[in-house]
Amino acid sequence: MHALIIDDSRAMRLILRRILAGLGFGATEAANGREALDLLEVGLHPDLCLVDWNMPVMDGYDFVSEVRKVREWRDITLMMVTTESEHAQIVKALAAGAHEYVIKPFTAEAIADKLELLGLVQDGALA
Amino acid sequence: MILAMNGEQALVAASPKPTDVRKLTQEVWGTFLGEHGPLEVGTDLGFAPDWSASVSVKGEWNGVVALEMTTSGAQRLTRSMLGLETSEELVDGDLVDAIGEMVNMIGGNVKGLVRGPCRLSLPLVAAGRFAHGSGQREVVRLGCTWAAEPLAITVHAGRPAKSLTTRPLEAR
Amino acid sequence: MSLSSLALAYVSDLVRRETAMLYPPEKGYLVESRLQPLAAEAGLSLEAYVGRVRRDAGEQARVVDALTINETSWFRDNTPFRALATGIVPGLLEHRAERHVRVWSAACSSGQEPYSIAMTLKEHLPHDWTAEIWASDVSPTMVARVAEARYGQVEMNRGLPATSLVKYFTRAGSDWEVVPELREMVRPQVVNLVRELPPLPTFDVVMLRNVLIYFDLEVRRQVLHRVRATLAPDGYLVLGSSETAMDLGPEWVRETCGRLQLHRPACTTSDLLSAKQSAAAHDPTLTATGS
Repeated sequence: MHALIIDDSRAMRLILRRILAGLGFGATEAANGREALDLLEVGLHPDLCLVDWNMPVMDGYDFVSEVRKVREWRDITLMMVTTESEHAQIVKALAAGAHEYVIKPFTAEAIADKLELLGLVQDGALA
Repeated sequence: MILAMNGEQALVAASPKPTDVRKLTQEVWGTFLGEHGPLEVGTDLGFAPDWSASVSVKGEWNGVVALEMTTSGAQRLTRSMLGLETSEELVDGDLVDAIGEMVNMIGGNVKGLVRGPCRLSLPLVAAGRFAHGSGQREVVRLGCTWAAEPLAITVHAGRPAKSLTTRPLEAR
Repeated sequence: MSLSSLALAYVSDLVRRETAMLYPPEKGYLVESRLQPLAAEAGLSLEAYVGRVRRDAGEQARVVDALTINETSWFRDNTPFRALATGIVPGLLEHRAERHVRVWSAACSSGQEPYSIAMTLKEHLPHDWTAEIWASDVSPTMVARVAEARYGQVEMNRGLPATSLVKYFTRAGSDWEVVPELREMVRPQVVNLVRELPPLPTFDVVMLRNVLIYFDLEVRRQVLHRVRATLAPDGYLVLGSSETAMDLGPEWVRETCGRLQLHRPACTTSDLLSAKQSAAAHDPTLTATGS
């Protein structure tokens, strides 16, 4: 399994990369939505994108909307990982095509639970 | 005068409550930095911050959330987030990134406390004390200790100053 | 920062011995994240802390606690809730003329299990059916939390699908609050399973998950006996994932629903025999069991 981690914070990308490694994922990183789209356009095809919302150049919401327009990318699972925590924002992200939503702060178990819900890791990958 | 006071009271009423800010800050802190013990709130040491990180919230409610830290506190926070040993070299960029992400997480959750819709800015990190706008009023101040280092989390409500005329004039 | 494989093996052995919970090497980072606060409190590195644990029975108990007494998650283990939706509920729909379902979450901790049951029933029961979920725990603090029905951001992230969050929760300060339509279904109550039970109705489903592992065989037998008395003759007992293989004795029969092992009351020896024969003779799905 391979994930694309999209967050403007290097510290956050590192935290997510470590958690994903524990779940058997390899990872590529992008610092904003535009960088991530560029990676997809040159042929990177991850199983999962973890997407921050507030980023410079292109935010996560626009990234999700762009990805959802492209037929060949429909099998990519999109999970928002963001500090945006209002009810309305979650509704908006899901409507744009995000499959799941994790609010920062999160624990390793929270990421594992969500990936289990999405069928990307086995049941009980974590205790 | 009375009208102005009422306006201030309304500003406070519409702003996040200290207990809620405290709770969410402790959650953010405990989740990513718990290894150095919990964040103790209520210890205002009146320290001189070396770094300040802030995010502003604009929309139905306007304000700014700031995190002020000493250099050694910020280094500790950065090492803890990045999982680095004390011996490993840190550059300012790492530090700016880490405290910026912390204030982003706190600020985003503060935004969740107020009546929306609002937008969250990208974090702004600067050397020294946080400078709020002249039209903004402090509604929350959490003096904290973490890993034996002082730090402060503040919320200022109100719009930032519309123009920057006062400062350049003073500078002249 | 991280633990040696030797230290990890020691900790996982300790936890397995005490609780039967498994922490294989690939879950090392989880062990580390749970032990980190304990090590910090002791002012030691992780490795040095585990060194102390080896010599200190008190610290051993704390380690076991940290690795087992977990904050519970929404839809924990998923399988029981899938089985409830796809196996148990369809069976009840055929056999409950009163159009009412009673479930007991018998060790509900802070309430994620009973509210997960409530969400599942809300989505899978027809609109003209009602349900009640009794939520009990031995801890009054936990039961008070169930009644409060408010959860912090970190708790919300644990296993709750975003679609369910949006549907069944509203923001309340820095917390999220369960909507009234689910809260009305849940009845919080303090119950100590090791003592005589208070008056309880007859349940269609009892979820008793990750509790029996903490008891010795005799207590386990007593608890199961009491629970059986509250269960409808055609009801279901759902145990924790590490408990399903337990031998519950002649009072229970085991049944499979999808990937979940369930238990049902066995009435008498002859009933037990015929139940086994019919299970062998028929398609062993739950909807087919109607004795």
